[in-house]
Amino acid sequence: MKAKTRGFGTVYLSLFFVFLYLPVLSVVLYSFNASRSTAQWTGWTLDWYRQLFSDRAIVEAFRVSIVVALLTALLSAVLGTFAAVISLWVTSRMKTAIQGMMILPLIVPEVALGVSLLFFFNAMRLPFGVLTLVLSHSLFCVPYVYIMVRLRLQEIDRSILESALDLGASTWQMVRTIILPLVAPSIVTAALLCLAMSLDDVIISTYMSGPRSTTLPVHVFSMMRVGVTPKVNALCTLILIGTFFIIGLSQLITNKRRFAK
Amino acid sequence: MKQPLLALVNLNKYYGDVHVLKDISFTINEGEFLTLLGPSGCGKTTLLRCIAGLERIESGDILLEGASIKELAPNKRNVNTVFQNYALFPHLNVYDNIAYGPRMKKSLSEAELKKRVVQVLELVQMSGYEQRMPHQLSGGQRQRIAIARALINEPAILLLDEPLGALDLKLRKYMQTELARLQRKTGTTFVYVTHDQEEALNMSDRIVVIDQGQVQQLGSPREIYNSPANLFVTSFIGDRNIVPVRVLEVGEERARVKLGEDSVLVRSSRTNGKALQAGEEAVLAILMDKMRVSCEEAENALRGTVASIHYAGSQIRIEVRVADRILTVVEYQKMDCDCAVGDAVSVTWEDSGAILLPKEDGWEERGF
Repeated sequence: MKAKTRGFGTVYLSLFFVFLYLPVLSVVLYSFNASRSTAQWTGWTLDWYRQLFSDRAIVEAFRVSIVVALLTALLSAVLGTFAAVISLWVTSRMKTAIQGMMILPLIVPEVALGVSLLFFFNAMRLPFGVLTLVLSHSLFCVPYVYIMVRLRLQEIDRSILESALDLGASTWQMVRTIILPLVAPSIVTAALLCLAMSLDDVIISTYMSGPRSTTLPVHVFSMMRVGVTPKVNALCTLILIGTFFIIGLSQLITNKRRFAK
Repeated sequence: MKQPLLALVNLNKYYGDVHVLKDISFTINEGEFLTLLGPSGCGKTTLLRCIAGLERIESGDILLEGASIKELAPNKRNVNTVFQNYALFPHLNVYDNIAYGPRMKKSLSEAELKKRVVQVLELVQMSGYEQRMPHQLSGGQRQRIAIARALINEPAILLLDEPLGALDLKLRKYMQTELARLQRKTGTTFVYVTHDQEEALNMSDRIVVIDQGQVQQLGSPREIYNSPANLFVTSFIGDRNIVPVRVLEVGEERARVKLGEDSVLVRSSRTNGKALQAGEEAVLAILMDKMRVSCEEAENALRGTVASIHYAGSQIRIEVRVADRILTVVEYQKMDCDCAVGDAVSVTWEDSGAILLPKEDGWEERGF
């Protein structure tokens, strides 16, 4: 009976993970397929990668994506951290208000957010492109930074901050020498998360992209409409590796911090 | 007369509607070890935080060497605090923790600083620990580093907020002597907060007993132990039997009071301004270990019957029923008589062990 249950569990989990990862794996696999069609396997090739790198539009979209993601991560890290640190000094009612307003962009459907930002930036007469992309991505990234830094701040004993002041530090010196070093790992982890989220975003980026500045996911999406070539598989494989790398890095930082404690 | 180092003048503090410090006024002399003693929630820690500048006061003033410091931020006051949980900076090693104060104030060059850190580490007997991180230290070691980190600033006053609270009993005893040694050696004025009467009696030059945000008594450990000013101090310090009595007659320093059938002559409170009147209700407090039980009739004694006897190592606790009250007697040597439960006995005490105080409203409800 027991062995039977265990056997069933193994089968179930195996099927579950096959279902979860087979599509992803097949994309990786077919990016090396010599045939144009996914119907047959005709041998290994790196042609699609070669084509990918010679496609000016894709390389440009990739460049835009990276620039936007880096700027978004930087801007969100700065804004989110400041908001979290400042909330140390506000009343508890104010803190609840800040918390609520911070979460709001995460609750509003992205489609609605995209439309409203479109109107807003239009009214502001901002040219659509890298600037609008960074601003809109930061909108949904800042809350993550705020939440993660805030959580870390809550772990810090209040008397540690008080003793810094007591020993002669000004408020700003205390923030610089005590608070920021203590929350730094959380800021880095949150920034990496922002990087990944910005690279992945399609919906808001679709609204925000300018005529000559499209992000990679938006470009891939439009490529799909014209017809799938294995080039897309190659591209997806690279994006996959990139994302894994970023997430892995942030995990590593989190674990290292846990060990340090 | 020499000017006091620190003077608190009619200090008041509110948390919302709660009046936590009420008209606190006293002075602290240079070089003394002063303890703020009181039960938890009495306001002693709040008072310490007001002196440190971590809390604002609503009215009154704090004068350090004659100058008001009440408007100064904590980093501008020449006082330093040792927090209950040490509050070492977890990301800095021992050296950087201790160097923090002088570095923030840029008061020393790195070379001088290094010399000073070595000095204070030696003072707290932690030489060679410069490179350790706080989480690699034991509780007692962290305590020493926290003290060193404060002392390197050469504060006019060192404030200590229940610094031994988190340590185990043995270490606590050891650190008591250690703190007293540090205080003598550096000559720094210590203001020490505790709820532990033994700690306070042991280390202090003077004790300020605080309850419900008010100073109840200020004096040397001896004065406070032997001549408590009021019922609260009487019940909070020393183990005493506290019973209501009726005053029969009042003399110069003594009064005759009646408990049950017997009347006895006892020492009357001198510190309290209000004089007792004959016929009035009062409260008699007697130190348990100044009492004796005897089998024969005695002078100036209360008669009762033995309710129970407990042997606890070196001491014997005897509970005697007198009128409708139970009095506890603690004897250290052999008892005067071999009494058993139910025997009729007389209870006597050393004159200095008993004190008569005026009754206060609601004293029984407060659990005195």
